[in-house]
Amino acid sequence: MSAIFLVGVLNLYSSTHADTHDGLDALYKSQIVWFLLSVTVAIAISFINPKTIERFAYFGYIGTLFLVLLVLLMGKVGMGAQRWLVIGPIRMQPSEFMKLGLVLALARYFTKVYPEKQLGFKDLIIPGLIMGIPTVMVVVQPDLGTGLLLLFIFCMMIFYKRLKWKTIMTLGVIGLVSGVLMYNFGLREYQKKRIHTFIDPYEDAKGSGYNAIQSEIAIGSGRLFGKGFKNSSQASLNYLPENHTDFVFAIFNEEHGFFGSVFLIILYLVFFMRLIWLASSVQRFFDSVLIIGIMSIFFWHSFINMAMVSGLLPIVGIPLPLMSYGGSSMLTFGVGVGIATSVSNSRNFFN
Amino acid sequence: MFGEEELVKIHKERATLISYIITAAFGMVLARLWYLQVYKGETLHNYSIQNRLRKEVVWAPRGLIYSRDDQLLVDNIPRFDAILTPQFLLDKEETLAKLAKILSTDVAGIEAIMKKNSNQARYRPIIIKKNITFEELAQIETQNADLPGISVDTFISREYRDKDIGAHLLGYISEISQVQLPKLRERDKTEYRLGDFIGQFGIEEQLDKYLRGENGHEFVEVDARGRRKRYINTDNLFKGIEDEKPLSGMNVKLTIDRDMQIAAYKALEGKVGGVIAVDINSGEVLSMVSRPSFDPSQFSRGLTPEYWRSLVGNTHHPLRDRNIQEHFSPGSTFKAFSAIAAFEEGQIDEHTEINCNGTFRLGRRVYHCWKKGGHGAVNLVRALRESCNIYFQKTANKMDIDDIAKYAKAFGLGSRTGISLPREVSGLIPTKEWKKKRFGQEWQAGETLSISIGQSYVLTSTIQMAISFAAIANGGKIYRPYVVKDIFDSEGELVKTFTPELLSQVDIKNPKTLKFVREGLFQVVNNPKGTAFYRRGQGIMMAGKTGTSQVKSASADKIYQRCENMDYDSRHHGVFVGFAPYDNPKIAAAVIVEHGCHGSSAATPVAEAVITEYMKKYQPEMYLKNLEKDKEIRESWIKSIRAAKPATPATADE
Repeated sequence: MSAIFLVGVLNLYSSTHADTHDGLDALYKSQIVWFLLSVTVAIAISFINPKTIERFAYFGYIGTLFLVLLVLLMGKVGMGAQRWLVIGPIRMQPSEFMKLGLVLALARYFTKVYPEKQLGFKDLIIPGLIMGIPTVMVVVQPDLGTGLLLLFIFCMMIFYKRLKWKTIMTLGVIGLVSGVLMYNFGLREYQKKRIHTFIDPYEDAKGSGYNAIQSEIAIGSGRLFGKGFKNSSQASLNYLPENHTDFVFAIFNEEHGFFGSVFLIILYLVFFMRLIWLASSVQRFFDSVLIIGIMSIFFWHSFINMAMVSGLLPIVGIPLPLMSYGGSSMLTFGVGVGIATSVSNSRNFFN
Repeated sequence: MFGEEELVKIHKERATLISYIITAAFGMVLARLWYLQVYKGETLHNYSIQNRLRKEVVWAPRGLIYSRDDQLLVDNIPRFDAILTPQFLLDKEETLAKLAKILSTDVAGIEAIMKKNSNQARYRPIIIKKNITFEELAQIETQNADLPGISVDTFISREYRDKDIGAHLLGYISEISQVQLPKLRERDKTEYRLGDFIGQFGIEEQLDKYLRGENGHEFVEVDARGRRKRYINTDNLFKGIEDEKPLSGMNVKLTIDRDMQIAAYKALEGKVGGVIAVDINSGEVLSMVSRPSFDPSQFSRGLTPEYWRSLVGNTHHPLRDRNIQEHFSPGSTFKAFSAIAAFEEGQIDEHTEINCNGTFRLGRRVYHCWKKGGHGAVNLVRALRESCNIYFQKTANKMDIDDIAKYAKAFGLGSRTGISLPREVSGLIPTKEWKKKRFGQEWQAGETLSISIGQSYVLTSTIQMAISFAAIANGGKIYRPYVVKDIFDSEGELVKTFTPELLSQVDIKNPKTLKFVREGLFQVVNNPKGTAFYRRGQGIMMAGKTGTSQVKSASADKIYQRCENMDYDSRHHGVFVGFAPYDNPKIAAAVIVEHGCHGSSAATPVAEAVITEYMKKYQPEMYLKNLEKDKEIRESWIKSIRAAKPATPATADE
């Protein structure tokens, strides 16, 4: 796992370095600081016994929920949404931590209540609330991306917790209907615009479709072998907005081409497979659900980010784990990896 | 109940399913990447290059214009404008503050300019300051990175060295307007674009296709905000994309002499009118000046509203060219052609004397001589010298208008000379047929009398007059006047050269005709009784004819009213046409001074100034010899005054 982690460092280095020659030195350095901090946190957490984590799972959930609530009341507005919490010199994005809180709470809940039972409708009420409360709060910020992520993480976890196939079907239909209703009544104008743009980005190439098109151009122009390290024209000439955060994957593709992306995706895939394998080989059920949850966080982030950048999904602001700039999300992944390592270590101890 | 490990085991099925889902999801991403990077890779790669490259026009340097003596008349000088593109402004306040500091103005001033242009699209640049200094230019360029939205527009300004002098001849360039675009495209079969510069007047218009050259283009790397990047760092990406160097326009050498232009311009100081001088033996135009004038440099970068108002508001119409684009009644200068017609048709010879008692009655109308009481018995030479109306009217009365017209036309009057400048007017020599066509009426005998002294329908331009007098001097050779001597390419290779073009030879049967007409013209200037004697100049041996072109026909009681006492708009135009030196003619000049009242006082000095400049510069030996002759004339005149004591010199009039 540490090997994969090292490659992660390399990826991070490569991608953030692409930004440095456009006056983003400060960001680059701060990203390294965040990264080291995350590694430290991960190592620290890896020494904690999973049992301790289990004991404090609900505290983690309630703590992050509190932070999200705090943001709602007094957050800093950034990029059209209120997401930041500023405490002294530290700017936090609690909605990032909320994902961990949710995973912890659900893992604990599923372990204690009917751990062996296949889940039906009635069994979803309380987990639904655990997921629903923070989701609503995050969406209200408004941060639809994180809200959806919480939902997706929840879905993957209940799927793991043997949700009945019949229930899955019914939920699918309900989801579809409510999705349509949501679109018509629940979405803000800029969110709707993103969906329109997704369907036909060229309709408004200079306006709302701009990001999608420029991102596709960046990826496509990498062709098989890429333009080479630090040679991204789309990024260095600022054609892509936020190229150090959400669109970092596009820059990576532009510089390293299709082979580069295959390599990167395989890395992620190996990482996820390793986590799934870990989840299936631990002795304690809580650890297993927890690992699946953490894996979900990573997976959804990676997948949604890659899919949106390459034009498979509409553009929503979701960072790519370990590659995008952003302290809070980096820290979240640090904690996640730390927990995974802790679980992995505990397994070795018992063996 | 299950044990912990069994719990994990019964969930293993789902874990496997999850791993399938994940693999499938990444498979989709990979497929998409394959599609983008491999299948559409080339296309998108080209997009990315287009994205970062902006094709910028590199203006071809327009050809330069030189005078016949190789003095530079029209030059291209780079000027720089500070421009601002609102779309690319990041931090408006900060940027404006920095810019204001560089340009040493205040933010409010810049904001006022922006506000004035706020109705245009945000991506269109606004000129903040025209013609910035090199220092300002350097500051903006070096701070480029800190000034998003600010850039410098390089502008090649067309600069006319002598500004107003000869502006009508040189013309000007300006941007093709929306209205002109389709017409010009049709006319030249060229895909002009809006904003292209094109010659719109004079030489600039006439020789536009030579002067213009061909614009090139270059690709510059720009970022998403349109800022130029200094380096193109990945050269391998730009294979097959090449800049195209502009092709410089051709340089032009005119037949015009710069010093004569300056002399002519000075001589027209305070006057409204024009002068044109041609080489008698080639038709080369040596000088061509019209006043009031304008500064063509102002046009090449877009006129300021103030300057435009000053041009349009001027009642003397500075944009009008008085030499080839306007015509007027030639007045008494036309008598030279009446004389030639009468002589050739056998109506008169050098001895024919006609009595002038001041009036001539034809039917119910009474025609007056300008001299109250008349000239007495006059022959041809005297009639020309003293510009006796009655002599020519009595002669013309015996003739057919078409016979007079035949000679006038043969000398090139009443039709375009074919000078290589745009919008030449044709003038008019009336005939019976013309009148029938124009008015549906028969020719009146009285009209012939008016025509014979150059009034009424007859209209000529100074260029026609100069060419026709040149023909009188050179024995009837009509040359096509031309203003361009040579065209060179930018390397100095001769591309095209223009040689004299003899259009026709006037058929003069009687060898005495031109001899005596010339004698008359000589005496106009050099005989103490001649109408232009007091303006004859020194060292030029000029022959010529004064004239007044009636603007409004005066009623009988006002015929002898002093012209200066009339309303400005009713005053006669003063005209003079002449050639020099008399015994070896080189140069002919024609002058019109609008509302100048007299040909002698208003127009003659202009011709004298231009011809004097010519003689000094090009015929210095002849000039010195002529000075001697002038001295003799002067001495004999003084002697004659002393002999005839109570002599009252003729008031210089016609």
